[in-house]
Amino acid sequence: MPVRSIISEVALLLMLAVATAFFVNYFSPNGISLVGQWDPNRGVISAAPQTDAIFHELELESPETAKKIYDGGTAVFIDARAKSFFDDGHIKGAFSLPLGEAGNRMEAFKNKFPHGTYLITYCSGRECDDSHQLAQILLENGFINVSIFIDGYPGWTAKGYPIEKKG
Amino acid sequence: MKKKVEALIQNVWFELIARWVLGAVFIYASFHKIIEPAQFAKVIYGYYLFPPATINLIAIILPFVELFCGLELLLGIYPRSAALVLNLLLMAFIAALSINLLRGQEFDCGCFSFSEKGYTYSARTLLIRDIIFFCAGLPVIFFPVHRKWCVLQSGSIRNNIH
Repeated sequence: MPVRSIISEVALLLMLAVATAFFVNYFSPNGISLVGQWDPNRGVISAAPQTDAIFHELELESPETAKKIYDGGTAVFIDARAKSFFDDGHIKGAFSLPLGEAGNRMEAFKNKFPHGTYLITYCSGRECDDSHQLAQILLENGFINVSIFIDGYPGWTAKGYPIEKKG
Repeated sequence: MKKKVEALIQNVWFELIARWVLGAVFIYASFHKIIEPAQFAKVIYGYYLFPPATINLIAIILPFVELFCGLELLLGIYPRSAALVLNLLLMAFIAALSINLLRGQEFDCGCFSFSEKGYTYSARTLLIRDIIFFCAGLPVIFFPVHRKWCVLQSGSIRNNIH
C-alpha cells in the first residue's frame, strides 16, 4: 500500500479545502464566526453569523419576566411558529404571524397593530431563532417596541401559564 | 462470485460511473452547506455529539472538503484519495447517525428556517443513503488499473500507477 503517496495526496486536498473554506467564510455575507453560541442555558443557540439577526438586548430572559408583562396586559404576544404549531397550542391571546408568511402578511399586520404596539415574539424555545428573525422584520417595518421571549412556547407551558388551542 | 466481483471492480466504465455519481452527489451536497453555513451548523448541533467549540469549524470546513473531493472525482485528480477521504467521512456520518438512532434522538427545533427548507431529516433514510454512497466509493478506491478520463491517475489504494 503506497502510504506516503496517499498521505501527500490527502494532505494537499485537505490544505486546499481548509484554506478555501476560511477564505470564502471570511468574505461571504453568510459567513459565520469561528465559535458559535451552542449552550441553551446561556441563551438562544446560534452559529452567530457575521450578519446575525440576534439582538440580545431585546431578549426577555425568563418565563417569569414574560408572564409579568403578559399580566400587565400592555403587550401582544406574536407566535412566529408555523400555523400548525400555533393551532396545536399557543400562549393565550397570542397572534399568529409565522416567520415564513411575515413578508406577505405584513401589510395586514400593520393595519391591525399601530407601530407603537408593544410586541413580544416567541417560537419554540432556545433552539429556535425564528422569533429573533421575526423581531428583526418587525423592526424593519417600523415597529419600535419589540421584545423576544426566548424560552418560547415550551418555556411558557413548562410553567403552567395560560395557553389555548384551536377549536 | 469472487471472480464476478473482481471483474466488476476492474471494469473501467463501472469505476467511471461510480466516480462521477459520487463526485456529483458531493458537489451538490456541499452547495447548500456553503451557502448557508449557519443552518448547517445547527444541523451539526442537532446531533448532540460535538463539543460546542468545534461546531462552527466543522460547518465551515466540511462542505469544502466535500466540494474538493467531489471535484477531484469528477475531474479525475487523485481519485483514490478523494474517494478515501469521502469514505472516511461517510463512516463518521454512519457512526453519528447510528448513535442517534440507538438513542432515539432526532433533532427538530420546529423552526421555519429549518423545516421549510428541508433540514429536518429521518436518520434512517440518511443512514441507508450514506451506506449506498460508501459502497459506491469502494470501486474507486480499489480500482487497480488505468482509469478512464482521468487527469491525474495516481493508482489504487494497493499500488501506484504513473
